[in-house]
Amino acid sequence: MQQDSQERFKEIVEKFVELKDTSELMIDLAYSALLLNSRELAESVHRLEEYVDKLHTEYEMAVLLSRFKEEEAKGILGLIRLGVVTEEIADAAAEIAETVLRGIEPHPVMKLVIEEADETVTYVNVSENSPLVRKKLQEARIPEETGMRVLAIKRGDKYIRPRPDLEINAGDTIIAFGYAEGEENLKKLASPNEFGKSDQAGDPIS
Amino acid sequence: MSEFEKVEYKPKPVREILLEMKNLSGLMIDLAYSAALFNDKDLAEEVLELEKKVDTLAYLLDMTIMIAARDAEDAEALAGVAKVAGATDKISDAAADIAVIVKQNIGIHPIVTEIFEKVEEHIARAIVGEKSVMTGKKIGKLNLTGRIGVDIIAIRRGGDWIVNPSNDEKILSGDILIARGTRLGISKFREIAEGKIRRIVGVKEDAAG
Repeated sequence: MQQDSQERFKEIVEKFVELKDTSELMIDLAYSALLLNSRELAESVHRLEEYVDKLHTEYEMAVLLSRFKEEEAKGILGLIRLGVVTEEIADAAAEIAETVLRGIEPHPVMKLVIEEADETVTYVNVSENSPLVRKKLQEARIPEETGMRVLAIKRGDKYIRPRPDLEINAGDTIIAFGYAEGEENLKKLASPNEFGKSDQAGDPIS
Repeated sequence: MSEFEKVEYKPKPVREILLEMKNLSGLMIDLAYSAALFNDKDLAEEVLELEKKVDTLAYLLDMTIMIAARDAEDAEALAGVAKVAGATDKISDAAADIAVIVKQNIGIHPIVTEIFEKVEEHIARAIVGEKSVMTGKKIGKLNLTGRIGVDIIAIRRGGDWIVNPSNDEKILSGDILIARGTRLGISKFREIAEGKIRRIVGVKEDAAG
């Protein structure tokens, strides 16, 4: 019975972790969309908001179906409230992104707030033969090697927060931002076949 | 009944206000989740304090924007700023909602905490004692990240908050430090801050933490 309840809660926790991570990632993406005036990122945030709504419903169902005992009711209420909060955070992120989608030119003040301007966002596919494959983000040292900072990893429909121990897979899309030179470096690193052949003088990437 | 601070206009650049709101609201989310998942009342209190601070900043920002807008063009550009500031305020409210779960003793189901502990890093607060080896040292010099795997993510000094302090920031006696790390690293960190451990020696931890 105890084992059974562990199993049931495992699903709840997994869903919650995804809700929490996705909503926080959305904030990062939303600010970046603003900084870079990127419709593409802003649209990602909007899509994620719908995804979070769906996930939130599934999470609430899982909590309600956990056949909890009376004395557990408070702890269950806590879980429900946590879910509501992740949804609120996702909504706030969507509102930030909305200013970009409405074509409101970011006020110069905004760029000062969200760090340096003149940077771009880039989406890079990781090919099979990339040295990044099966490396943890920490080991991949992308910022050091390329000057680009990783915003998120897109894997299928999912957006994953760039935690240091996250392993990069072939087929992932790395969403990163930085200066234009860094973008080239990152593309060479992630898809060596397409970009690596021309023997350009640049930073050696090992 | 909680007390509300009367907000008076004082000249402060929009940039500074918005930056502070953004930084504080981000910090609050981290603190709030940690407070809820590890049932940490001190952290929950910090979050509720921060929420008041963000609310005050939101008023100040509104006032500043109203004064700054001189024509339709200004208004259009500043509407975006107001919207973003509103969203950071919502984020801080959301964090406060989490803190209330802790404060009202609602709590999170213990099985969830148990599973969560395995995947999530801990955040904790510690007060720097007079005798602590940290006192008077720069963060970079302490190298807590390298030695015990702990990052100082914020410092509260009286009513002021320093979010994501730089390596050059000096730690003072009486500072409240907010740090993130593994469970073992964090408990070590607390003892160092309080002055119970006088030498910083690395902790050996396996990958599972």
